[in-house]
Amino acid sequence: MRRAGAGRAAALYAGGLSLLLVGAFPLFWMVSTSLKPSGEIFATPPRLIPAHPTLENFQRLLADTNFLTFFRNSVIISLTTVALTLVVSALGAYSLTRFSFAGRDKVAGLVLLTYMFAPIMIIIPFYILVRLFGIANTRLALVLSYTTFCLPFCLWLLRAFFQSIPIELEEAALVDGAGRGRAVWHVVLPLALPGLIAAAIFTFILAYNDFLFALVLISSDELKTLPVGVNDLFNATIVDWGMIMAAGVMITAPAVAFFVAVQRYLIQGWGAGGVKG
Amino acid sequence: MRKNALAGWLLLAPALTLLGGLVLFPILYNAWLSLHDKHAFLTVHTFVGLRHYVYFAHDEEFWNSFYYGVVYAGSTMVLQLLLGIPAALLLNEAFRGRNLLRGVVLFPYVIPTIVAVMLWKWLLNDSYGLVNHLLVTTGIVRVPLAWLGRDYIMWSLVITSVWQFFPFVVVTYLARLQTIPPELYEAATVDGATAWRRFVHVTLPQTRNVLFVIVLLRSIWMFTKFDTVWLMAGEGGVSRYIRTLPVYAYARSFTYLQAGMGAALAVIMFVLLLVATAVYFRVFRQEEALA
Repeated sequence: MRRAGAGRAAALYAGGLSLLLVGAFPLFWMVSTSLKPSGEIFATPPRLIPAHPTLENFQRLLADTNFLTFFRNSVIISLTTVALTLVVSALGAYSLTRFSFAGRDKVAGLVLLTYMFAPIMIIIPFYILVRLFGIANTRLALVLSYTTFCLPFCLWLLRAFFQSIPIELEEAALVDGAGRGRAVWHVVLPLALPGLIAAAIFTFILAYNDFLFALVLISSDELKTLPVGVNDLFNATIVDWGMIMAAGVMITAPAVAFFVAVQRYLIQGWGAGGVKG
Repeated sequence: MRKNALAGWLLLAPALTLLGGLVLFPILYNAWLSLHDKHAFLTVHTFVGLRHYVYFAHDEEFWNSFYYGVVYAGSTMVLQLLLGIPAALLLNEAFRGRNLLRGVVLFPYVIPTIVAVMLWKWLLNDSYGLVNHLLVTTGIVRVPLAWLGRDYIMWSLVITSVWQFFPFVVVTYLARLQTIPPELYEAATVDGATAWRRFVHVTLPQTRNVLFVIVLLRSIWMFTKFDTVWLMAGEGGVSRYIRTLPVYAYARSFTYLQAGMGAALAVIMFVLLLVATAVYFRVFRQEEALA
């Protein structure tokens, strides 16, 4: 390898800096705005860093709006979806990799086909069905729709992970007298952990982010999730930019925290499957 | 490998029930609906055959939506590549702070759409937005631009979407770049190839397949994108200048409550994607890419 010249290093850092600006500056601006008192938000010229930082935007958001209700709904629905999706897709993926039966490969292909459908293409029949079953305007309706939409990806991802775990390890545990359940719990699942975590992140982000299903399936205020609830706030009156940016910061925090904590697993997952969005 | 079909099917049953009941059945039901006149929540329906499809063939609003959809999907896809590929190449080089930057570049993709859209509406605000401030003080424009007015709303939507989704290109492309054997570059360097020639003769051929997949997936996903487009302008006012097919299908179904017509639009979207995908595969002949 050639020793890196000064020109090359300068180019790399210039590129890196512009990428940093593109990726992070808008978020920095959101945080900065959320901490400014209303007078400063509309100041010309705009200040990069608030001169008199304040939490009054956050106070207004929490005291005067249903933000916390939306927040709770989002977290409950997203976490329930993650749990349900992991169980259903782990069972299915285990079946697809450890049992042989007629039609198995057809099932796998069919799963991939459903992955090609965008929510907007089935939202109408979905809405009619949900009303028919009497679960319109319930959290259950949202959990079921998100689970269904994450399943194809999670099944494919976990199938790839289970395939990479040598079946001999499991058989060794069985020979040692462990039951099948114990063999799976103590041998297979720990080895598939990166895959399970990647699937969990993917599912959480999709459920937490969804706008269309929540818009169509939920009508009462106390059941709304963050995207729809905050969009209502945004449309309600003259836009209170400080409060809206404070809401943005609070919505982003859990997603980013979750993501940073397990980022390296996510990148493995991306390598194994691909991510929809 | 166990030959125990019953246990195999039992473990698959929950997944198959959900996918069958909530994806496959709705798809078939949707096709049936598209042949009927049906109110979005009243139970009556009447068979109308292909009338909805004939209607849309002559519907100016439909053709506008189709046009906006193609403009939106095409321009955002190209810009995501133009931004994402150089970023991936950069993040594949060794320099201090690279890992931090790899994390930061994913932020836009991780933050919820509602936040991305509100944030860009604030940055692009006509009176107080930072973008207009910078454009005016640097003398690029003389008066602030009405970014969210009819003339620039499509630009604003494209900027927001490219920012939100280019990290997908970065991650996918970077994952493939990391698997290119370093010997290939070393050989090219010994032969005296410049950085540009190394890119054209080593990197591009090696990443052809992943580029094929990226272009396919991003185009499909941008063409069917609903939330970013909808949140940008809602339903009234300037929204008609960015009304893509998904938004039009939503409006037909849930604003005009014409479920049958909305269903027909969903079928049309699906057929369009199917045809476009088939043509794409034929032109580039890379069937092995998805295997």
